[in-house]
Amino acid sequence: MKESDVGLALIISILLASVLQLVPVSGYLLVLKPNFLLLVVIGWIIFRPSQWGIGFAAFTGLLADLIFRAPIGVHVLLFSTVGAIPLYLSGWLVYFSLIHRCLFVFILIIFAEFMRNMLLSMWEIPIDYSYIILSALASAIVWPAIDQLLIKFNRKR
Amino acid sequence: MAAHSYTDWFDPIENFFDNALLPVHWLATVPARFSVWSELILSDRSDLEVENTRLKQESLIHRGQIQRMADLAAENLRLRLLLNATELLMDSVLVTQVIGVSPSRNSHTLFIDRGTEDNVYIGQPILDAEGLMGQVIEVFKDHSVALLITDSTHAIPVQILRNGMRSIAEGTSDYDRLRLRFVSPTADIREGDQLVSSGLGGRFPVGYPVGSVINIEHKSGASFIEVEITPAAKIDRSKHLLLVFTSEDGGEIGPSK
Repeated sequence: MKESDVGLALIISILLASVLQLVPVSGYLLVLKPNFLLLVVIGWIIFRPSQWGIGFAAFTGLLADLIFRAPIGVHVLLFSTVGAIPLYLSGWLVYFSLIHRCLFVFILIIFAEFMRNMLLSMWEIPIDYSYIILSALASAIVWPAIDQLLIKFNRKR
Repeated sequence: MAAHSYTDWFDPIENFFDNALLPVHWLATVPARFSVWSELILSDRSDLEVENTRLKQESLIHRGQIQRMADLAAENLRLRLLLNATELLMDSVLVTQVIGVSPSRNSHTLFIDRGTEDNVYIGQPILDAEGLMGQVIEVFKDHSVALLITDSTHAIPVQILRNGMRSIAEGTSDYDRLRLRFVSPTADIREGDQLVSSGLGGRFPVGYPVGSVINIEHKSGASFIEVEITPAAKIDRSKHLLLVFTSEDGGEIGPSK
């Protein structure tokens, strides 16, 4: 598989994640909506740490700032910091079982949501910490699909 | 982050990406539009006939009510002229459709399919069939961004329909809740009271439904009571909205087409 194919797959995955992120939902479904963009970033960093690292996470964070209409820099900082953790642990994470990687993603999303809420509170935006667990749980439930897609993609290579 | 907060250097970039992300917003609303289309395709002819009859009857009732409203508006106008009141409001509306929503729980914004081509302007009020939804905050050539009344940065002057008591309703980042700030414990306010826009500040026209009081909490030792309101508009469900064009001199202004 050519490097251009990898680039194309990455662009498609980011585009798909952006569309899923923007699908309008109401009420409690909004709370249960996983952070697709962050999950895709975590996935690419775990399975392609040599190619996609902090810079890629920061760029996707910028895209997230524009999609979420958040102050520019909030998601750049968030995605870079959160992305650094799987980048550091990627050597071990690829040998983890799917369940363990789900648990890792669950904990990582909790950390990300805490950090996001703390950053947004600087702009006096009301935050609710009670939704964090639900949001992380939704992300962990969606994670196996992203995980298996990326594993299959890397095996083809 | 500091540069974004204190300067407008990033505005051109944000405007560019708002336009660039429009196709992504369009793609994101495909499932919702497909659902509406499939409902229409799968519904029986007899169901459609029943619905059509019901809508015709409703239309007839509303026309009758509008005639009554026109009579009351004319009477109101005469009384205002007698009182030498200067502010006479005439509203016209333009139908618009929601083409995207903010994916964030903390930011309550909508993308609508009308822009400068339709004379949409910043600060323009938006309604749905039930009540006030919010106001336009950014306008582009063929679309605009609206801030909803439930956004935590939004506040709207309101008055209680029953007694005219004025207050300010603030957003709470919850689609089903607004709150009134700085309400005295002795204020005449009850659960179930209807709130309408008071027109103060000149941003929102007077008399549009904002919501109703659902909970009043008296906290011992606190200087003010906490009042919760549920919005009249279906904030997170309405797809078709109305842009209100207002004129302060009584003349009509409106959309270009």
